[in-house]
Amino acid sequence: MSKPTVGIFGLTGCAGDQLVILNCEDQLLDLVSLIDIRDFLMASSENNQDCQLDLALVEGAVLSNRDAETLRAIRKRSKLLVALGTCAVWGGVAAMNRGADRDADRDALLEEVYGDIGRGYDSTPAQALHEVVPVDFNITGCPIEKEHFLAAVASLLNGDLPLYPEYPVCTECRMRENNCLLIERGLLCCGPITVGGCDARCPDLRVPCVGCRGPAGDANAGSLVAVMEEMGFSRPQLAARLRTFAPGGVA
Amino acid sequence: MKILKLPKEKLDLFASVVQQFGELHAPVEQDGRYVFKRLTRWSDARLEYDRTILPPKKYFLPPREALFRYRPGEGFVPNTDGLDQRIILFGVHACDVYAINILDRVFAGKYKDPYYQARRKNIAIIGIDCLPDKQCFCRSMRADFVDHGFDLFFYDTGDYYQALVGTALGDDMVLATGNLFEPVDAAEIDDYKRRSWNKRRAFQVDVEIRDLPEIFEMEYQSEIWDELGEKCLSCGSCSMVCPTCYCYDVADDVELGSRAGKRTRLWDSCLFASHALVGSGENFRGSRSSRIKYRFYHKQRGFVAEYGRPSCVGCGRCVSACPVHIDVVQVIDRLRRVEDVASR
Ligand code: SF4
Ligand code: SF4
Ligand code: SF4
Ligand code: SF4
Repeated sequence: MSKPTVGIFGLTGCAGDQLVILNCEDQLLDLVSLIDIRDFLMASSENNQDCQLDLALVEGAVLSNRDAETLRAIRKRSKLLVALGTCAVWGGVAAMNRGADRDADRDALLEEVYGDIGRGYDSTPAQALHEVVPVDFNITGCPIEKEHFLAAVASLLNGDLPLYPEYPVCTECRMRENNCLLIERGLLCCGPITVGGCDARCPDLRVPCVGCRGPAGDANAGSLVAVMEEMGFSRPQLAARLRTFAPGGVA
Repeated sequence: MKILKLPKEKLDLFASVVQQFGELHAPVEQDGRYVFKRLTRWSDARLEYDRTILPPKKYFLPPREALFRYRPGEGFVPNTDGLDQRIILFGVHACDVYAINILDRVFAGKYKDPYYQARRKNIAIIGIDCLPDKQCFCRSMRADFVDHGFDLFFYDTGDYYQALVGTALGDDMVLATGNLFEPVDAAEIDDYKRRSWNKRRAFQVDVEIRDLPEIFEMEYQSEIWDELGEKCLSCGSCSMVCPTCYCYDVADDVELGSRAGKRTRLWDSCLFASHALVGSGENFRGSRSSRIKYRFYHKQRGFVAEYGRPSCVGCGRCVSACPVHIDVVQVIDRLRRVEDVASR
């Protein structure tokens, strides 16, 4: 059986998810013996930019017409397309103010940010991949968990899709028997509505969850917001926090 | 049952002797709350704790546990790591012992779970009596006293602990200490009775469980379930901290590049959207209200039909762990009340 062909791409993002893949040092040799990575700009300067792919992993959000075209071209060449990281899955930090920047005058915005050279710059309101092309599955996280990437490859090689937690960060936080920052210390913790899989990394270090992995399967943001308002947080404060990573997901 | 007493000043000595029977674990403080943990020093033990964040369930049914490895051609190799480790849980409250007895019915009754049974065999339990706080309703749930399920059970009766010996292992522990334990006399029996009476009067929360399954049956369509469904976050906290929530999920981790792997089980919760989702994509409990309703029905009604009592032991953990203040005592109260129109 020939090895599946794979491409790893970045649209507008921090490249953190691609870096996680490169950081799988102990598994990299196994990986390249199992899959044929044809196109991975961050790792290689010799890429085949036209070949058909079995699997494309795409990081980052769509922030320009160029991003959108690149993504459409990737979709065309690949059997499977996976959104890699919170930006690709939900829009991420680039999309946090999307409602406002959609309505705004783009040229004025560009000028505000980039000065005179900004006008006419190719820039569109941030979108998650699924808003532009069909996505086969998501590996969320900011950045993704290395284990989730490896599990995806292992499962796909066996003809399966990987299974990731859909329950919230609280579940794992409780499994780890942490004191609850929300209930006991009145901190703004997004754990109850953020999807787990990070083993409650932040509350485990006594830092509230900011929701970097995006919403849980059946996130009930309205109810959490109501309780947090009773706790004294203001609506704008809550909206800002909830929109940081997944504007379309919860707010 | 043998009943003895241990002078309080000899507890340290007892603790050091008893370590020959296993690694000592007890409640220790963690940022103002308590957790069962391996003791590095006896002085870290906090026997006058209110409740631990997670119940002792974590020792018998760990949040995540490897069940077996599998490899084509080689078959299954069950995981035995840690199963024969001898541990002594020192300072388990009555409701938590009761909860373990309930887990026994599920994992060591009709269906036998070898992992659970191995741990149950190798983990000794030394119980300790406690006084209720404003969240405890174990008395209402008939779990404020246990007559089995422990090796030793200590009652603080002033200058000494009165000790019930529950098993041969408990007896061995007593014997190993030489003559630390003494027989009880009439005055001390009175002390015990006073303690028992005072404890009974100290309960601040009371729920009536008589005919509760029937009331649940009648209130199946109550609006209260929709109302709770609107509030519930499906965060699973209540299940994780519950000493009798035993649902688990199993998942396979496939090795990269082979069909071999590892099967793990991990705590699950009926509040999760994925709990009743099946392969075809059908979800038998798609709505949050049906899920939270199910949690109450399973604990307070279904379990009664199956095992003759509710599975809730009234430890109060889920009440303090719920970010949106869903409170089992309030829910039961409201279901029982006639004048509460909101529940209709
Ligand atoms: S600290 Fe945050 S993540 Fe942990 S249980 Fe509390 S709300 Fe959930
Ligand atoms: S705890 Fe929250 S903020 Fe921290 S890594 Fe997990 S999802 Fe991200
Ligand atoms: S349902 Fe709540 S009160 Fe009852 S045993 Fe479970 S955690 Fe304790
Ligand atoms: S702890 Fe409360 S919000 Fe979370 S699943 Fe349980 S009832 Fe729902």
